[in-house]
Amino acid sequence: MVELKNVSVTYSSGVDALNNVSLKINDGDFAFVVGSSGAGKSTMIKLLLKEIDATSGVVTVNGYNLNKLKKRKIPEFRRTLGFVFQDFRLIPSMTVYENIAFVLRVIDAPKKYIRKRVPYVISLVGLQAKSNSYPDELSGGEKQRVAIARALVNDPKLIIADEPTGNIDPELSYEIVELLKGINDCGTTILMVTHEHDLVRHFGGRIINITSGEIVFDEVIGGVNEA
Amino acid sequence: MKLSGVKYLTDQGIENIWKNKMMAFATFCVLLISLMLVGASVLFYINIDSIIGGISDKNEIAVFVNENTSDERIVAIEQELSAIKGVSSVTFDSKEEAFKRMMESMPDYQKIFESLGEDNPLPDGFRVKVNDIERAVDISAEIRLMPDIYYVGVSQEFVSILMELRHIVTLIAVVIIVVLTTVSMIMISNTTKASIFSRREEIQIMKYVGATNAFIRTPFFVEGMITGFLSGTGAFMITWLTYDSLYGILTEKVGVMNVIGLGNILPFDTIRFYVLGAYLLTGAFVGALGSVLFTRKHINV
Repeated sequence: MVELKNVSVTYSSGVDALNNVSLKINDGDFAFVVGSSGAGKSTMIKLLLKEIDATSGVVTVNGYNLNKLKKRKIPEFRRTLGFVFQDFRLIPSMTVYENIAFVLRVIDAPKKYIRKRVPYVISLVGLQAKSNSYPDELSGGEKQRVAIARALVNDPKLIIADEPTGNIDPELSYEIVELLKGINDCGTTILMVTHEHDLVRHFGGRIINITSGEIVFDEVIGGVNEA
Repeated sequence: MKLSGVKYLTDQGIENIWKNKMMAFATFCVLLISLMLVGASVLFYINIDSIIGGISDKNEIAVFVNENTSDERIVAIEQELSAIKGVSSVTFDSKEEAFKRMMESMPDYQKIFESLGEDNPLPDGFRVKVNDIERAVDISAEIRLMPDIYYVGVSQEFVSILMELRHIVTLIAVVIIVVLTTVSMIMISNTTKASIFSRREEIQIMKYVGATNAFIRTPFFVEGMITGFLSGTGAFMITWLTYDSLYGILTEKVGVMNVIGLGNILPFDTIRFYVLGAYLLTGAFVGALGSVLFTRKHINV
């Protein structure tokens, strides 16, 4: 669950990035966050990752009060989340398998579990055949599917996807969102930031529009495919 | 942390070295030279100390009492001398014994000694041994102030030269240690920096998936430690060869050695394990410290 209560973020330069934002995303929700660049989307993501702190207000993610979260507890908190980035952020020197297994190594998971879990999530994103390929050998869509598998591997309660379709062909974008939808159907909360309105219109669901640091729209709309 | 985790992090550390071969090699060289120079100063210092120690074992202060001093007074002086702080032993040296020794040491002048007959010109005296040769001058000054003392002799010119040398070596060693440790640290920091840079994507991702700082830092720690360890090994080998050949050259000139007390130079065998241990520990410590200091600064969630 993600909850923002009267959250404001003012950067040291004096810029108000978020202005008294309140927002609640329940477990199992799928929400799009839209808005033009500079509207405060990135600030919100950073806030949810505990990269920055709110100037005022309360931020709660997966039961952690981020305002009060101690530095040494940050790793523990981040293990309850999964991230997908616009630029994939795969490690080029590692194969698909290693890129995903890496996450479990970091959290000191047992070897046996890694050997079972990694092929499973690779099959979930349909990349069994590419398991031993390197990121350079994959298409943009495939890379992002690897990134999604990586976000999924430690079974997070919440996945935050920051413009996951930003760097891939439009026709493949739908596949990626379908994949995220599928993950959401299994109970994982998904927060997807995007500025592709076509995509949002197509899928529908909960849309949160941030403009100039404020939420100007937060409603559930019907998607084209559901209509 | 599980054993597999430790192995993983160690492997990562070794991989770091391999990824940054040139930087690692540069660090290795700097650390090697630093260790060797420091090691050489320390070994030099230890040997001078050993030589000084050897000389001071033999070194005595000769004390002569005035003529016609009563036997009671001589006994009293002996006690007073023994009571001086830093004096380890006092041996009475009667004028008869001294005369006999003198005659024996100069057989060519036998006739002159015989002509003296019972008229022994030498005074009674003491041989005073001191614990710490550095205090010999102070102690002899103190003895000079005592009544009924005719002459106090302390032959320690060579010792004071050595001592002066030891002070200089100490000073140089300190300077060398400070400068080279700094240089080594900077080199290690740079290597670590390059290493961090080459892994920045991984580090970024590690942070996002909840790696602890310790987990992220450990490979760099391992990297620094292994580089330091290798430098220590290299420094040991070079020092061993150099020391042994220098020792060989000096021991060949036995004559010189006996005169100036070089007999007290330590053979490498007796100090080998200390030298090896010191090199390895210092190398690993400096290497690990350098990378830890730097990663602390640059890797933070």
